[in-house]
Amino acid sequence: MVLLIIAAVAIYMSLPQAPTTTPTTPTTPTTPVTPQPTKVCIVYDIGGRGDLSFNDMAYLGGSKAARDFNLELTELQSRSESDYLPNLRTLSRSRDCVIIVGVGFLLTDAIAQVADEYPNQLFAIIDGYVDKPNVLSVLFKEHEGSAVVGALATMIAGHYNKTTVGVVLGMEIPVLYKFEAGYYWGIRYGQEVFKGKTGREVNVRILYTYTGAFNDPARGKTATEAMLGEGAIVVYNVAGATGLGIFEAVAEAGAKEGRTMGPPFGIGVDADQDYIKPGFIIASMMKRVDVGVYTATRKALNYLIHKNVTKFGGILELGIAEGGIAMSRVEDLETFLELGVQAGTVNPQDRETILNAVVSMRNSIPSWMWDEAYKLQETLKTNKSLEVMGVKFSDVEAMIPFSAETIARLRSSLGVG
Amino acid sequence: MRGKVIRDVLVKTGNVVTAMTAGLIIGGLIMQAYGYDALHAYYSLLRHALGNPLTDAYPLTSTLSLATPLIFTGLAFAVSVRSGLFNIGVENAVYLGALGMVLASGLLRADTPLVLIIGSLMGLGLSVLFAFVAASLKVFRGVHEVITTIMLNWIAYWLVDYVRVNVFPDPRDPSKTIAVPPSARIPLLIRGTELSASFVIAILASLTTYFILWYTVFGYELRATGINLMAARYAGMKTSRLTIYSFLFSAVLGGLAGVCEITGRPPHYSITTGISNLMGLGFDGIAVSLIGLNHPIAVIPASILIGALNTGVRGMQIEARVPFELVRLVQGVIVVSLALPGLLSTLQKYLGIRRGRREVVVS
Repeated sequence: MVLLIIAAVAIYMSLPQAPTTTPTTPTTPTTPVTPQPTKVCIVYDIGGRGDLSFNDMAYLGGSKAARDFNLELTELQSRSESDYLPNLRTLSRSRDCVIIVGVGFLLTDAIAQVADEYPNQLFAIIDGYVDKPNVLSVLFKEHEGSAVVGALATMIAGHYNKTTVGVVLGMEIPVLYKFEAGYYWGIRYGQEVFKGKTGREVNVRILYTYTGAFNDPARGKTATEAMLGEGAIVVYNVAGATGLGIFEAVAEAGAKEGRTMGPPFGIGVDADQDYIKPGFIIASMMKRVDVGVYTATRKALNYLIHKNVTKFGGILELGIAEGGIAMSRVEDLETFLELGVQAGTVNPQDRETILNAVVSMRNSIPSWMWDEAYKLQETLKTNKSLEVMGVKFSDVEAMIPFSAETIARLRSSLGVG
Repeated sequence: MRGKVIRDVLVKTGNVVTAMTAGLIIGGLIMQAYGYDALHAYYSLLRHALGNPLTDAYPLTSTLSLATPLIFTGLAFAVSVRSGLFNIGVENAVYLGALGMVLASGLLRADTPLVLIIGSLMGLGLSVLFAFVAASLKVFRGVHEVITTIMLNWIAYWLVDYVRVNVFPDPRDPSKTIAVPPSARIPLLIRGTELSASFVIAILASLTTYFILWYTVFGYELRATGINLMAARYAGMKTSRLTIYSFLFSAVLGGLAGVCEITGRPPHYSITTGISNLMGLGFDGIAVSLIGLNHPIAVIPASILIGALNTGVRGMQIEARVPFELVRLVQGVIVVSLALPGLLSTLQKYLGIRRGRREVVVS
């Protein structure tokens, strides 16, 4: 018995092992000839795949990069928080990865630490900021897209002769202030557009609620029901999975009045969420995490292999102009429905029904409103000096990063609360 | 006598190996059915869980690090089972142990080792307090511990989450609590790994538990109560008091798991959103205890086994490219098959006590 064990261990030890360095001196690569890395590696946080939003979009970007740049895609999901560090370390030690992308700000601390230990490995962090030469921090200009959906919200309110719109948010963290600021500005901008087009004045009352959670649809629902009770006609989801409760609330409110489509409407976030409650989600503020992952991979290749850029780390900020932020269009829906079908959450037979519902919902409001919203989106690519109520869009941008104090000031100058 | 012990150990090890082989085969068949190479997957699992300890210690340290909290929670559950209780409350003890450290860090706001001492006392105090509630309900009102501890788990969960959101959130990142200050952290055994001195504490806890259970009068009485409550009472043991002590003992061990996780695991050193860095450790302890047949020493290899599985699944994803969901499924199959023998014997024993049929045999 004992001999058997010894023999087994001896055989195991003599098997070829992957090239590794000792963990105590990871900062000094000793092998003179390192094989070229061939993988794009993605580490998810505990949210993980299958959310039809943030994480699945990261996968989309990674698989597109793998295809286009002839790399292999390696995905690593985390079972719990205690997996972050070993997941990143294991991938770094393998030296197979062109870039390791950490998806989600929860991975920020772990990336910061491992980036120090493996200075020759390139990393990217989505939604987080790590100040190291080998880490690319991928951030999004959420305020731009929020302004576009804000303007749309106002025009819809005007169309239905209503005066109240709302936003339900998750935890009160600085990233969300960017959404808030853009949305409020867009709402006020929409008022001017609406007046210019119809000659009618619409003076919008803005409601906002921080639910304190990103993962609690019940709280999202309660907050939304309160807003609907106050007469809100559009509610913007800035609350992750909590926002699923927003969609439920608007769909229920609509159904109660015997309608199969809004009003009231929700506005989706991150992914194109228009299909979740077809007919009740007027549009989505898409934050293209896939574009972030793809761009980061391209940059890593340029730095590492083509050597045509000399600096890798820093901030990669993606907005409308960079294709990182956009209000959803019907074509986007087709892409995201495909993702839902692949994941098994959308029945392939329902695809047509969902598309039709969304298209007829879009046709239920005047087409000039869509044109105006997309026009604002085009304008914000280049011209940030648009001004409403004495606040230029560039002023909003200059206030980033927001603090509780600065957002309070902006709220009062835009007449919120 | 010694020969008998060795034979006993060998037979039980043999059972575990058989159970594990069965689990591996079933898991392998599942992977093959989905079109993945099971042998390659298991080889990657082994390589990422152990590596080659002579040339590269990292995989092994990762395994031991993930085993550490399970040793504590496994011990905590084993102590309960040995005294005839099915205590699900280890989970809340873990939360509360960690909560104590956060409270101490937040209240003292100083970077001194004192935080570790005060924090662990507060944490263990809270764990013991919760356990006392379950224990009193059991002893004085006859409320079954499974019900009370499950409910107490949720009370503790929301209490901790309340503190995370409203009392001591990290101002730079409100998804987690403030961190334990650097000088109050348990040092790493090897730099650049996750293995901290918590592992040593866990081993000591295991030896101490073994000593208490088998070499003290208290431990003898505890086990006697577990084997046959009626007989123990008839023999003049204060079984109600023993039941309460067993709850508290178990809470201290569970609380230590929480304290050591939050003070000994890089990089966060804080309670993270949804308590996701602690959730499930108590329940995993049940599996560990069952695999180790509720023996304090056997809990160590059982934890290392689970730790190795948790570490090795990384390799299955990276090298064999088995998707995470399938990896978790296979892992579940293996753990269930490992725990099955222990579960059956524990249930048998447990139901036996309830019916009062077993004879008094205290070895």
